[in-house]
Amino acid sequence: MNTPATTTLPAHETCASCSVYRAANLKKLGVNMARWDYVVALAGNPNTGKSTVFNALTGLRQHTGNWPGKTVMRAEGGFDYDGKRFKMVDLPGTYSLLSTSLDEQIARDFILFGQPDVTIVVADATRLERNLNLVLQVLEITDRAVVCLNLMDEARRHGLQVDERQLARDLGVPVVPTAARRGEGLPELLQTIRDVATGKTVCRPQRLEQEPPALQPALASLLARLKAAYPNLPNARWVAMRLLAGDDHLAKALRSGELGTLTNHAQLAPVATS
Amino acid sequence: MITSSSTPESVAQAEEILREAQRWRQQIPGDLHEHVVEAIYSQAARLASRAVTRPGLAAQPTLDRTIDRIVTSRMWGFPIMLLLFALMFWLTISGSNVPSGLLASLLVDQLYPMLREGATSVGFPWWLRGVLVDGMYLATAWVVSVMLPPMAIFFPMFTLLEDFGYLPRVAFNLDHLFKKAGAHGKQSMTTMMGFGCNAAGVVATRIIDSPRERLIAIITNNFALCNGRWPTQFLIATLFIGSLVPAHWAGLVSAGAVTGVAALGIGFTLLSAWALSRTVLKGEVSTFSLELPPYRPPRIWQTLYTSLIDRTMFVLWRAIVFALPAGAVIWLSANIHVGGNSIAEHLVGGLDPVALFVGLNGVILLAYIVAIPANEIIIPTILMLTVMVTGSHEVGQGAGVMFELDSDQAVKSLLTAGGWTTLTAVNLMLFSLLHNPCSTTIYTIYKETGSARWAALAALLPLGMGFLVTFLVAQIWRFFS
Amino acid sequence: MLPLIFIICACAFGLWICWPKVGLLARRTQARLLAARSQREDVLKHVLKCEVNKQPPTINSVAGVLGVTPNRAADLLSGMEQRGLISHQDGCLHLRPSGRELAMHVVRAHRLWESYLADQTGVAEAQWHPQAERQEHLLSPQQTEALAAQLGHPLRDPHGDAIPAAGEELKSDVGQSLNTASLNVPLLIGHIEDEPEAIFAQLSALGLRPGMKACVTGKSEGEVRLWADGREYKLSPILANNIAVVPLPEVRAEDLFGEEFLDRLKTGERARVVALSPACRGPERRRLLDLGFVPGTIVEVEMTSPLNDPVAYRVRGSVVALRSEQARLIQIAREVTVPATA
Repeated sequence: MNTPATTTLPAHETCASCSVYRAANLKKLGVNMARWDYVVALAGNPNTGKSTVFNALTGLRQHTGNWPGKTVMRAEGGFDYDGKRFKMVDLPGTYSLLSTSLDEQIARDFILFGQPDVTIVVADATRLERNLNLVLQVLEITDRAVVCLNLMDEARRHGLQVDERQLARDLGVPVVPTAARRGEGLPELLQTIRDVATGKTVCRPQRLEQEPPALQPALASLLARLKAAYPNLPNARWVAMRLLAGDDHLAKALRSGELGTLTNHAQLAPVATS
Repeated sequence: MITSSSTPESVAQAEEILREAQRWRQQIPGDLHEHVVEAIYSQAARLASRAVTRPGLAAQPTLDRTIDRIVTSRMWGFPIMLLLFALMFWLTISGSNVPSGLLASLLVDQLYPMLREGATSVGFPWWLRGVLVDGMYLATAWVVSVMLPPMAIFFPMFTLLEDFGYLPRVAFNLDHLFKKAGAHGKQSMTTMMGFGCNAAGVVATRIIDSPRERLIAIITNNFALCNGRWPTQFLIATLFIGSLVPAHWAGLVSAGAVTGVAALGIGFTLLSAWALSRTVLKGEVSTFSLELPPYRPPRIWQTLYTSLIDRTMFVLWRAIVFALPAGAVIWLSANIHVGGNSIAEHLVGGLDPVALFVGLNGVILLAYIVAIPANEIIIPTILMLTVMVTGSHEVGQGAGVMFELDSDQAVKSLLTAGGWTTLTAVNLMLFSLLHNPCSTTIYTIYKETGSARWAALAALLPLGMGFLVTFLVAQIWRFFS
Repeated sequence: MLPLIFIICACAFGLWICWPKVGLLARRTQARLLAARSQREDVLKHVLKCEVNKQPPTINSVAGVLGVTPNRAADLLSGMEQRGLISHQDGCLHLRPSGRELAMHVVRAHRLWESYLADQTGVAEAQWHPQAERQEHLLSPQQTEALAAQLGHPLRDPHGDAIPAAGEELKSDVGQSLNTASLNVPLLIGHIEDEPEAIFAQLSALGLRPGMKACVTGKSEGEVRLWADGREYKLSPILANNIAVVPLPEVRAEDLFGEEFLDRLKTGERARVVALSPACRGPERRRLLDLGFVPGTIVEVEMTSPLNDPVAYRVRGSVVALRSEQARLIQIAREVTVPATA
């Protein structure tokens, strides 16, 4: 692909001024990923600086710009932190994971079936409420998530104060405030990714408090069946919800028995370094 | 690993669960999605209100709001848009004059004779020297001196605008026109993307879900001037349009001309979208929802750096890669003689009747054939062909015309010697806007649509329009003069 | 030389005609087979619909639907009887199990294809039914299932008809004609008949959709005045006859007239989202919900485009631009005092 938007030339000399570069144990691997210890998925609303975070960590140059929906393709890159190799998958920016559109399907299926060791959800601190919509959906699917509260510099400029500790307590997963364009907070983000990937930090995500009343009987009944069939399924409620919505991929996974293997893998994952 | 997969028992269990899910699905009142999203949003609102506080009175991003009210106002929305783009073009045109001249004097006036002499002294045969130095090197030298300065000024400015968040506002302002044309709202965004690179713009149409509107967006993306075509516009506007008025107005007028061509591109986008949605791609306008992101003060140095690397060097590199073989081909075609005339002369002579009829010339058409792989090499190809075909039969001396002059004026005097008039220049600017996309874009269209027919339509539609428009302009021009 | 060229041409011509699968003859045969199959399936569909709506299907009604002579229809029906699709008893046609299954598949494919055209393409509304009439004969059961999954298993098609799940019974048409509805009684538009095309095209151009809450406000010779989703429509009785409605006892007429939609909001004004109109469906509906236009959300008009049309709304902290066609699908309530939650 020789279009400016998709060139991915490794650039080791980029951004020598930003603080993440000074995190001495970070090595940006660009696209040269032969093997890896952990897989990190990068999700987020469109236009929250997802590509900037991706570029800062992998040293790649996905084209960035202030408009929604720029990254249409899935990009992959890697970095080496503290002796561990991480493969990073940049998912399409989406507002939600519930629709039938292609980009949401890619993001949803990767988080569910790809079973990344860590899922980073990049959230815009200046538009937190809208971004939490996606964060809460991701937390329904996976336990091991990190919220990257990006654009903190913009939030400050707009006179907003975001209490990330309160948010982390409420969500039950680590929340790292960053300003990726300035490189602020990226060392902390890396550390948190590593801690969650290695199982040093255990996430206990806050799942949806109030089930939609209209769905309660349906969810309860399906959940009971799912739990009987797959006692270890970590995200049974999400699976039930998707089955109700008629998600074809999930129905296929159920038929083929893949859903059962998800259970096992998720249990082994904290020690496995595949 | 214990796999419970695919025992008859588990399959039956799975089918049972799926049946139950389907049963419930029929019973849920209203819209499932709505129930879920409502529950999630109410929790999101609760969490956000606990985590976010606004100390002090800076309750609203008032500066953003003020800017937005102005740049989208009924009175100022469109004038600001035009002025902003004209300003960028003007800065580009007036800023790139001097460095262009310097580069030309360095690469063409000084280095080129040295290389020629060097090649001669190490005993290269004349034809090898011709292919390497007169062909490949000279083409590349012109690419660099003509294209690098405007790109190095224009692309960073465009990227700054992009980073600031202005482009979604342009899309917001223009959307009504796109709606009238029967196109999707997001097409204004992919058009903006096309201003960088049409192939990228075509790929970006994936954000449009509806197949009909997506096809319209793909086919009309070519009407957005791409990176490879901006330099042609800048150069020709400077040389021929700017020179029609007194020197202190020249920059403004040529910037105005480029703005006009770019706006005309939008006009053609709308026109062909309108025509397509009433003929081969009949249908109704679908929905539009565009988020307008808050403005972000661009990180100037970072932007300069990335735009230089991502855009300027990328385009320059692409131009050089294609200019090298093109230079060799042009030199060979100008030096292999068949029946008394060189191949290039035969071709130019053959194309001339058609070309002159539409107010262009054979050299330009031949250049557009040579430049199918990359629009970037149009200008160098035109220059080389003009030198070799019209300058002299002795190529070395022909190219020598260039040595004495080292600024844009040199190019102009050369082109004027090649029979160029203001009409040729105007029509070249129009033809540069309206012709087939480069081969990369055509291939991308083929891949994205999966259909050779749509790719062919996307290639031939603008080409046909190009000939039609230049023909009409030529007729009107000749009628009045 | 000449005879050789002639032979080559003749061979090429022969191949063009006789080549298996793509040759002229093969194509003719395929087209004929498809036409015959389409006709059989149309008969089955007709019999099924008659059965559901408690009308007796006869040879004459079949001939009328297919636009052929009764003799031709009788030929066709006897052929279908031999295939075991239908049976003929007491002058009345009945579906055999295999015929019923095929008929259900065709109805399902038709309604799913209409939903697909409505939700995921920009194809004009007037084209939905004719295109689905062709496509229903081309889709295999597997393709139909894949389509249903892709659309998220919709329950109703854009005309308001229930899409029967695979292996389910077809429900009868509901509601009375708008012409027979009484004045000032809140109604729900249950179905808009898609035949004849010209009438349907007019109704869809007016913006009337199944799922809208409506109320007849006046009737006179040659005109029915209808209030629906915040605006008044004047319909000729022939148009009104194609709209099927059911009464809504739980809605008060006053509330219906008080309904307001987002496109009426002016710059700087605020309101609360009450509901999304049922006319807003498929991905469009999901996108609006995902962007935060859920019931209870406070919306404020942020700015208007220079040409008046897309309008940008501040919703849940972000600014989203919508075209007026979409804004008019969002029902709002103005509030004098709005809690400061922005």
